[in-house]
Amino acid sequence: MKQNTLGYKIKQYLMFGGVGTVLFLGVVAVPFIYGLYLTLTSWDGVSRSKPFVGFANFAAAFQDTTYWQAMGRTVIYSIFAVILINIVAFALAYLVTSGVKGQNFFRAGFFVPNLIGGIVLGYVWQFVFNRAFVAIGKAITGGTAVSLLASPNGAMFCLILVSVWQYAGYMMLIYVAGFMSVSKDVQEASLIDGCTPAQAMKNVTIPLMRSSFVQCIFLSITRCFVVYDVNLSLTKGEPFGSSVMAAMHVYNQAFTYKNYGLGQAEAVILFLVCAIVGVTQVMVGKRGEVEA
Amino acid sequence: MKKALALILALVMVLALAACGGGTEAATTSSGVNLTIFNSKMEIQSQMEEMAAQYSKEKGVNVEVYYSSDTVAAHMSTKYASNDPYVISMVDAKDIYSLGPEHAIDLSAEKWVGDTTQAISVDGKVLGFPVCVEARGILYNADAIKAVTGEDFDPAAVKTTADLESVIAKLVAGGMEAPVGLQKEDWSLGAHYFAEVYEQQDDPDAFIAGIKDGSIKLIDDPVFNAMMDTFDVLKANNYAKAAPLSAVREDTEMMLAQGDLAFKYGGNWDWSNIKDFDPSENLGMMPVPSTLAGYNEKLVGGGSKYFYIDNAVSAEQQQAAKDFLNWLVYDEEGQDFLVNTCALVPAFSNITLPVSDPLGASVKSYADKGALTGNYNYLPDDHYAKVGISFQKYLAGEIDRAGFADEVTAYWATAEVGAH
Repeated sequence: MKQNTLGYKIKQYLMFGGVGTVLFLGVVAVPFIYGLYLTLTSWDGVSRSKPFVGFANFAAAFQDTTYWQAMGRTVIYSIFAVILINIVAFALAYLVTSGVKGQNFFRAGFFVPNLIGGIVLGYVWQFVFNRAFVAIGKAITGGTAVSLLASPNGAMFCLILVSVWQYAGYMMLIYVAGFMSVSKDVQEASLIDGCTPAQAMKNVTIPLMRSSFVQCIFLSITRCFVVYDVNLSLTKGEPFGSSVMAAMHVYNQAFTYKNYGLGQAEAVILFLVCAIVGVTQVMVGKRGEVEA
Repeated sequence: MKKALALILALVMVLALAACGGGTEAATTSSGVNLTIFNSKMEIQSQMEEMAAQYSKEKGVNVEVYYSSDTVAAHMSTKYASNDPYVISMVDAKDIYSLGPEHAIDLSAEKWVGDTTQAISVDGKVLGFPVCVEARGILYNADAIKAVTGEDFDPAAVKTTADLESVIAKLVAGGMEAPVGLQKEDWSLGAHYFAEVYEQQDDPDAFIAGIKDGSIKLIDDPVFNAMMDTFDVLKANNYAKAAPLSAVREDTEMMLAQGDLAFKYGGNWDWSNIKDFDPSENLGMMPVPSTLAGYNEKLVGGGSKYFYIDNAVSAEQQQAAKDFLNWLVYDEEGQDFLVNTCALVPAFSNITLPVSDPLGASVKSYADKGALTGNYNYLPDDHYAKVGISFQKYLAGEIDRAGFADEVTAYWATAEVGAH
């Protein structure tokens, strides 16, 4: 049988990649394109007619001030969360690769928050902020203590804290892999050449781990930009809508306020912003990668 | 070892998949008609499921009850987006107006239409079956008030804002520092309390139109000011005054049930939680006190939660659904289910079973003497959320009354009332 005919190649492709292609088209490509089409309609999500309105939804999305407020909030939240997640994750990774006693136990322990779904985690922390901290506060001050979740800045702080707690363990694993991949030779060589441990870390280990940083920052940026589950269960956008993130606004717009087309258009914009930030970060990060 | 582990993992996944598949299969192969019911009253979900099992056994139809914690409109739009409608859906009144004309069948020929005043018709067709009557007002704990003040509490004597203030003053003097509970939820503030500002107008449509075109200034409106005067009294005596936006609904209900609070703004649905907190005997509901005469003698409410039957399902399913609705109204078991099992206040005059819970009994007594101000069911879908946010700001002291009125007016600049 000839192996260079088109028919053979197609058969080969279908045999190995057919199922994957169909699944990809079915669950990613088609819905995405259909979603793009819906942004051009003024569909309310329930009626059978989907009136075509051109780019009116995008115009409306750019004028939707609450959307851009939510977007701004998401950016602020993402900046704080991404920085803190990575600092904490890196510190934890350093800790559990430095040879402390029971480091495998710690690795598992720090990773556990990531296994709890965002919804459950949100409710657990809501209880902690609203009940446990308030009770402790009352006991210490003897007077009234107010839940952090009751003020806009407090709610934002809580969201960031919980996100860091949730994702730091996961990112830690990637940093652990990064630490392990840096060969001991170069580290020892630098120490023998007169580096202090801090200098060795800064000049040898961290540059060699650059790909871990690129990966972790990419993952945390993309996750923070589309955060929804923790947002929903921890603050639900309260107090008075001051903690509604972009994804939650999109959901409300599409399903609760029944502006499906507009919500979809806002989702596309969110996707673009997220993609641009993520891709830029990866490109910039990759440029300076070095190998030992 | 690793291979064995991988094998086990693979098996578990296959089983999980098979389990998913199995579930849907069971639903389609059983005998009889499939009757899917969407329930949007969380508090009666377990009762609905038990009833479904029983009903399926007796009537030979396969009843399945589903629940979602989503906003009703949001859940319905995801169901229609996936082209998978329920046969019977329990929705809010406003959803009947928005979904009904396109998705509901005409029930005008049904017998029960003559036995209720709460059914919803659109364009002359009856589309919505009222599941129950619910009303809003101030919940009181008469036992707690008597324990503190030593006097019997007569809700009928608390008509004006000043009356309410004097009762609260007595309670505070007697040692109950903060006798009021207020919910922070946007639906409680925006859809329930603030909606009364529209509902107490002689012509809510004209009132909203007036706000939209600027001929009515909300801040000068007597109803708005009367409602806000009372709200200020409630707010000043709120037990969670220090952090009103972290008040937890269940806590507030528990405190009322056990007599730590004397008043709470809410409705008879609060009973579903209150009953679990070992409540005092003499609870009840009264209208929101107001300086305006007339409305302070009526609770606000009416038919709440409506069933509609989808028009895209098969004729047998539609018939089974109609039979089910008739069973609720005319069958003794159905009536017992509504009134006793679910503790709902029925919307049908032929059902004479006494309402068991004290809040429901209050509502029934007001309903029986015609003292219910009707719901205004045409507010836009985002009204409760957006006005609720402004109301939360007011509750937290972020804005004053004028600022609140401005925000509501600004909301109405772009919002449109639903078609009716």
